[in-house]
Amino acid sequence: MILNKYTAIYIVLIGAFVTGCAAGEDDTGLEYAPNMYHSVPYEPLSQIRDKRAGAWVNSTSKSGKGEYHNSNPYNPHGMTMRVPPANTVRRKQALPYHLPKDSLAYAAKVVMNPFPAEGPEAEAMLKDGKELYGRFCEHCHGTKAKGDGTLAQSGEDDIPVFAGIANLTSDNLKNISEGHIFHVITMGKGLMGSHASQISAEDRWKIIRYVKKLQK
Amino acid sequence: MTRNFSLARITTTLLISCMCLLTAGYNPLVAQEASSELVIPEDAASISKGEALFKGNCTSCHRVHKKLVGPALANVYERTPSIEWIIGFVKNSQKVIQSGDEYAVNLYAEYNNTQMTAFTGFSDQDIMSILGYIQQETLKGPEVASGGSAENAKEDGGEATGVASGYLTVLMVGLVVVLALILFVLILIITVLKKYLNQRGLDEDDAEVVNATLSLEGIAKSKPFIFMVIFIFSAVAFKTVIAGLYTVGVQEGYQPSQPINFSHKIHAGQYEIDCQYCHTGVRKSKSANIPSANICMNCHSAVKTGSKEIQKIYAAIDYDPATKTYGPNQKPIEWVRIHNLPDLAYFNHSQHVKVGGIECETCHGEIKEMAVVQQYSPLTMGWCIDCHRKTNVNTKGNAYYDNLVEIHDKNSGGEPMKVEDIGGLECSKCHY
Repeated sequence: MILNKYTAIYIVLIGAFVTGCAAGEDDTGLEYAPNMYHSVPYEPLSQIRDKRAGAWVNSTSKSGKGEYHNSNPYNPHGMTMRVPPANTVRRKQALPYHLPKDSLAYAAKVVMNPFPAEGPEAEAMLKDGKELYGRFCEHCHGTKAKGDGTLAQSGEDDIPVFAGIANLTSDNLKNISEGHIFHVITMGKGLMGSHASQISAEDRWKIIRYVKKLQK
Repeated sequence: MTRNFSLARITTTLLISCMCLLTAGYNPLVAQEASSELVIPEDAASISKGEALFKGNCTSCHRVHKKLVGPALANVYERTPSIEWIIGFVKNSQKVIQSGDEYAVNLYAEYNNTQMTAFTGFSDQDIMSILGYIQQETLKGPEVASGGSAENAKEDGGEATGVASGYLTVLMVGLVVVLALILFVLILIITVLKKYLNQRGLDEDDAEVVNATLSLEGIAKSKPFIFMVIFIFSAVAFKTVIAGLYTVGVQEGYQPSQPINFSHKIHAGQYEIDCQYCHTGVRKSKSANIPSANICMNCHSAVKTGSKEIQKIYAAIDYDPATKTYGPNQKPIEWVRIHNLPDLAYFNHSQHVKVGGIECETCHGEIKEMAVVQQYSPLTMGWCIDCHRKTNVNTKGNAYYDNLVEIHDKNSGGEPMKVEDIGGLECSKCHY
């Protein structure tokens, strides 16, 4: 009987110990050597704004800030990442696109694809373009650019999830210029937003090559 | 009155349709009439042609009975200035608007200056047959909507699992009741049998067996029982302690609630949006990036604008859905980081995804099924090393590896080149 009593206490203690270690819904669980998990330098995708977070680890520190505190006081909102300074260009990147959103007709005439239209390089571009199209365009414009991607298909009540997706192979869009497509991807048109932040200029030209192929 | 009128129209349509079917689906007389006087065609051939054109070109923005991006088209032939006006507007709406036509200018303003695509490829005949289809649908009237709207139905994804577990509870309770009944019946049988046997008059030995009571105390104090109990308890306790110690510092299963209830199950699963549409950094840099709000707004400036969760995005970027403008009081959305490697280990996404060709799901699990994302892999060193030992290097079409593969094949005796063969187990690859 005494033994049974002890085992019961034993089990309860172990249960408490073990459930305290594992990570759960909102709990990261017990950390071994927490100094190694929490970065001292500012981390690009982490931010802990609580100044006292992890103070128990370095309770002797004179700075008064906890070990886990990781937030840059000099940046807006204490963020680590910042928007690149105005009027700067990344090395080896295309120069910024300056035509305003409403000059689509002008862009369609003026903006030209800087990459060769034929030869092995063009073929490689087309191959990349297909992959990029699948990644950035297909869910709306569909595999064959007919405007029938998963988001365009009718959900309940015959209303598509995203109404107003263009069928790029329709008669009136079939013959648009490469510059037209570049302007639309860069600036957006109608309900489509600007994809310039997601797709680099070079990748945009690759996608355009593939779209032109689908339109034929 | 209107009802009679529509009935008459439908009958005429039907009659004409029958005639058309009889004359091999084409009636040159009706077609002739339409092209010369711009009368909306009512023959089956024109209407089915119009239906095909409507579904191929118009349905992304228009429905007959519902307002989508553009107006609902029911009755359009009666409410607009003229049939000629419709044809002009469809062929080049901007030209009509710029000519200062009052109806067109008002319409343009009403729909937030959304330009309708110019359908220069349509002939008058095409547009008339589309109008024929629209007229037919107008006369049919709107279909009765079934049940609640899509908006309400999709709001709660957890409903299905809730129902399933509720069903399970009912089942369990039912089983317990059945077991209790069986137990009761068995006890009843035993008592009845005992009574019967005692009445018959038994000799001493038999009476002892029949009337023996189960002594719990006797069992609990027996040596084998105590040994078994101690053994089982210590084995279980030992196992749990060891397993528990292995979870220290491992955040597998960490599933924090996020500031916005974004569901990967809906976006990546149901709508099949590629992971890399939003996590754009994954092939270019060390980290896969938490998407910025402008990527959300590519769709959510138009999709589900009334949702409570979407309003949180609008609040963060100070967006006014009514005027479609952004204000100056923008602040970041503070997502909670889930996957976190200790500082002492280096990991690079582009190296694994672009060069190695590893699928996101290999490490992140069935993201397409997760309404709330949780950490799927332990992200321990053992887990890294294990994969580096098992995985073949993706060398196809990568000229960088050609020479290496050749040398490897000469010396390996047919074993494919694993990540460990190219230094995947070197300490300084990840720890420096």
